Amino acid sequence: MNQEQGRGGNGKRDFSFEREPAKRVFAAELRESRIHFKEGDDEKSPSYVLLPTGERCNRIFLVGTLTEKRKQGEQNMFYRARVVDPTGTFFIMAGSYQPEAMQQIARTEPPSFVAVVGKPTIYETPDGTFLISVRCESLTEVDKDVRDQWVVDAGKATLDRLDLEGKTPDSARAREEYKVDGAIFRRLAYEALAQLKI
Amino acid sequence: MKMDFSEITERISQKIVSKGHTVDQSRIEGKLRRLVEEFGVPPSEAERTVTNEFFREFGISGVTVNTGDQKEINQFSSDEWVTIEGKVVALSSPPSPAIAQTGIFADTSGAIRFVTWTKANAPLMEKGKWYRLESAVVDEFRGVLNLKIHSGTTIKEIDDNKSLIPDYTQINDLKPGVGSVKVKVVQEWDTTHERMLQSGLLGDESGTIKFVIWREEGMEKLDPGQVYSIFYALVDEYNNRLSLNLNTATVVPEEGDIEISSGETSFSGAFVHMAPGSGLIKRCPVEGCNRVLSRQNYCPVHEIQPNFIYDLRIKGWLDDGQNTRELLIQRENVERLTGMTLDQSREIAENNPLGMDEVFLRMRDGILGRYLTCGGREIEHRILVSSCEFTSFDPAILADLLNRAGGEA
Repeated sequence: MNQEQGRGGNGKRDFSFEREPAKRVFAAELRESRIHFKEGDDEKSPSYVLLPTGERCNRIFLVGTLTEKRKQGEQNMFYRARVVDPTGTFFIMAGSYQPEAMQQIARTEPPSFVAVVGKPTIYETPDGTFLISVRCESLTEVDKDVRDQWVVDAGKATLDRLDLEGKTPDSARAREEYKVDGAIFRRLAYEALAQLKI
Repeated sequence: MKMDFSEITERISQKIVSKGHTVDQSRIEGKLRRLVEEFGVPPSEAERTVTNEFFREFGISGVTVNTGDQKEINQFSSDEWVTIEGKVVALSSPPSPAIAQTGIFADTSGAIRFVTWTKANAPLMEKGKWYRLESAVVDEFRGVLNLKIHSGTTIKEIDDNKSLIPDYTQINDLKPGVGSVKVKVVQEWDTTHERMLQSGLLGDESGTIKFVIWREEGMEKLDPGQVYSIFYALVDEYNNRLSLNLNTATVVPEEGDIEISSGETSFSGAFVHMAPGSGLIKRCPVEGCNRVLSRQNYCPVHEIQPNFIYDLRIKGWLDDGQNTRELLIQRENVERLTGMTLDQSREIAENNPLGMDEVFLRMRDGILGRYLTCGGREIEHRILVSSCEFTSFDPAILADLLNRAGGEA
């Protein structure tokens, strides 16, 4: 159903460059992700997080409310920020390798609606806790209309993934690894959508 | 009268060698001489007879096709010897010293690329003349049939003034090799190489195809919007995409217009990346160039150009969560989307310490992370945007989704 799954099947990349699409996922679902993997052995091979609803993502796009930001570090300065959607919180990071994103965070004052493009990463702490953060490629201030469009977009993406349950390799793998009831995410999507005014 | 049989002898010998046998050349010459000098057989007939004789002697199959069956071009298949009558419709500069001549040979059925090896010592053919080629070889190179003229091929100029007007092929039906089309110049692109005179997009009722013209004496650019008949262009294939090389082609401007198959697509998604090179840019002022200059006003072809022309464009990526499209948005739509005109942008650039970067940043802040719908012509995942709009929240979609999410819960 999407290019990189087809590509994963034969282990080959097309000749022409294909940009990794940015998946739409609610904070509450991303927070439950545990599985991450690399496609291919190359150092530059893309790495993916497997979402509990059964789709891999290398990049995500999210829109929410920037509620907090903190500058950290002296030599290697970086920003941490929290962006909230109707279901929970995304933890955003931008370091010296993302100078553009860092400047954008520095200029944006909470609270405000922001659109974020970034790469999800999973850390497992020594005591076995999983920390999922988004390494930010860009963060732009937007208005409420864009936020509402994103909630609709993420809701639709979540339902689309649930409709494919068990029908794609990623979905089958997610069902096996996460053993989560899809109804939970259906309810999550419903509640997020229901917060918008028709 | 003593005749020189060395050429014919050599040809026959080659053919026998090519079938894996050897024969003393004096034997060949002896037989030829006997037929021609004693029996008055014309040399070409003697050649055929002697060849057949040796082929029979060595049990070589297909004896009668010693010079190859006379065939029309559209009946050719790979690895066969052929005899053909046709016209040299194009010559191109040989790519290597091992090749004496390359070009296109055509008959009423079609056209084929030909190659004459330098070591074949064959007489060079002239464009526009008709020839009979005996014992040429058809082979396949990168999926395209070629006619090889080697030391065993006989080339005879023939008198023929048949007019040869090739049939047009629809763009969607083109195959690698040689093709003739009637098309309109849909777009002219920035050239990416200094040896390139022009590149762009041609279209007809069936579709569109990329074209390229390399710099060469006598080559001229096509006019955008003009309709042309293009005879005998090379159809090349690269990464499963076809393109037309017009350097061999005869190009004739035509009256009228062609309704281009739209190839128009529309794509909606979030604008997730604005690429460097967006915003206010400088273009080379040299007529017909229009390349984007570097920060130092340097054009890759025309060097430093202090009298550049300002322009606006946005390059970036639109992403719907499953697929991505590269966008190329030109001035008019950039102005509409960003609300910044070219004049305003120039003023900002000239009065701001960040210069042109300031324009980039303002435009980025105005469109990055927003939802857009873009229409335009799509080529290889890239949309040349002709219309572009921000989308807004649609309560009807929300209502549908609520039903979908709630209805099955």
